[in-house]
Amino acid sequence: MKSILTLITLSAALSGAAGATTYPLTITDDLGRKVTLKAEPKRIVSVLPSTTETVCALGLCDRLVGVDDYSDFPQQVTKLPKVGGLYNPNIEAMVALKPDVVLVSQYGKLAEPLTQAGVTVIAVNPETYDEVFTKTALLGKILNREAQARNLVAKIKGDIARVEILTKNAVRKPTAYFEIDPTPYSIGPNSFMGVLLTKAGARNIIPASMGDFPKVDPEFIVKANPQLILGVDAKTAGARPGWSGISALKTGKVKDIPAELNTMLGRPGPRLGQALMGLAKLIHPELFR
Amino acid sequence: MQAAAPRRGLGVGLGTLLLAALLLAAVVLGTGLGSVTIPPGEVLGALWRGVTRQALEGNDVIVWQIRLPRVVMGALVGASLSVCGGAFQGVFRNPLADPYLLGVASGSALGATVAIVAGWPRGLIPVSALLTALVAVACTLSLAREGRRFPPTRLILAGVVVGSVLSAATTALILRGEDRARQVLAYTLGDLGFSGWRDVLTVLPYAGLGCGALLLLARALDTLQLGELTARSLGVPVERLRLIAVIAASLATAGAVAYVGVIGFVGLIVPHMIRLAFGPGHRTLLPLSALLGGALLVGADLLARTTPLSQVGIVTTLLGGPFFLWLLRKERHD
Repeated sequence: MKSILTLITLSAALSGAAGATTYPLTITDDLGRKVTLKAEPKRIVSVLPSTTETVCALGLCDRLVGVDDYSDFPQQVTKLPKVGGLYNPNIEAMVALKPDVVLVSQYGKLAEPLTQAGVTVIAVNPETYDEVFTKTALLGKILNREAQARNLVAKIKGDIARVEILTKNAVRKPTAYFEIDPTPYSIGPNSFMGVLLTKAGARNIIPASMGDFPKVDPEFIVKANPQLILGVDAKTAGARPGWSGISALKTGKVKDIPAELNTMLGRPGPRLGQALMGLAKLIHPELFR
Repeated sequence: MQAAAPRRGLGVGLGTLLLAALLLAAVVLGTGLGSVTIPPGEVLGALWRGVTRQALEGNDVIVWQIRLPRVVMGALVGASLSVCGGAFQGVFRNPLADPYLLGVASGSALGATVAIVAGWPRGLIPVSALLTALVAVACTLSLAREGRRFPPTRLILAGVVVGSVLSAATTALILRGEDRARQVLAYTLGDLGFSGWRDVLTVLPYAGLGCGALLLLARALDTLQLGELTARSLGVPVERLRLIAVIAASLATAGAVAYVGVIGFVGLIVPHMIRLAFGPGHRTLLPLSALLGGALLVGADLLARTTPLSQVGIVTTLLGGPFFLWLLRKERHD
């Protein structure tokens, strides 16, 4: 196991030796726009918490000059100027920070006004599990940290592999319902959170056909009768009509997600491995004794 | 008038029967269909086992504890909103009136949102909704007041303003309460999911008291249609009638809005349909509106559950929007 990891890290480090980004660099971003960066960005604004984490993980935390209201990791970004959230972005504040680049989500419609204000905007937001790695690599390219990005990807994959090796040995993989919102919304197996749920050693009751983040009919959950319910506290779940008979409630396998883990799970970024570890510990505590 | 009475009487009798059958059909369909299809025989079996207090197993749980309360809640809310709509249209002699007029629904929604965002116990949600509904109505009435009278146009204008301000406050709360944002958003779009028997029992007295009072006022509402002056000269205390009707309708609306959120246009459409089919008399209009409103909302919820429209409020708004425009056009031509 350890030797495999060393090998991965080593090969990543070796391949990382090749080339730096050459500017001007033209890329196609997640909004399908062609964006040209004239030089390596020194002043970066990130309006997506997962992107903020990736930028820092690439060793560029000190180049961040502003972040959105929800970026809170690593700790040092909390001291940076806040530029609003997805619904209430403070475009003036972003422009005032004189950034070389603003890294946005494809949602929130920031690209147009910022571009008009003469600010370079790139939309990068990973949504699927695989995109976590491709977008990390893309950020590495944009920020002239390609080698670091490759190492980071290898590290995340290594973290994930370590957990997967454990959960593969799990004797029983419970059928699970993961609630991300009490209306209720859940996660499909193809969403990045769904991939983590499977890797953590659970069998998702939501079929892929329902989509990545479907609103679920409560009776579907009762019919599926999951052995494990995540994301709701036992009291709430028990009070829902018809839920007291669900197998997970009978055996007491209803677990709310601790706030910090919940944050990590919601961010397709460098802490994916840690998030997976946390999830696996919730699902298979017996493997981590 | 005299000659038409017996014919209409027969029509109403038949209509009651038809609408009751429609409501029953909606309830049966709504209980049998969904993301899990349950054949009618099994539905009946489940109902029987529930009534006779036998152990519920398999699909019984879905029928008895999830679908049936949801369907009953839909019928209750649809009936409440429709009766309130019919009563409002009569009280203010305005065909565009519904529980949204006077800011009643927006007021209830704000109260319920406060309760949800603050994480108060579920039983307090309708109470909070009722209080804010009454405050909203009080604001509307005092804004619209002209001496001792409440001219309909002023009332509606004031209602729109109060409603808008309250909706803005609700939206602000939603944006602040990030953690529960989607929960509250789903609520403001109207949603019958997770309606259980306890919710039905909590809402029942609000709906029963509110609608019951409005039904008792039906004859007075008929008299009011002759014009305020005539009604007054016939001994109808117009101002007091309005006040009681508004309070009763607030009660029923608060109950309806408390758990299932803001379900648009039902209260507007249903009374018009009944009026077109059975004439404007409130003694038939209000009870028949209850039947049709219940059936319509149960049907809309079934659509919401089985299609990507996903929330009952979205379905009713999609149905009601065009109807509203048609009504506006018709008003202009008349």
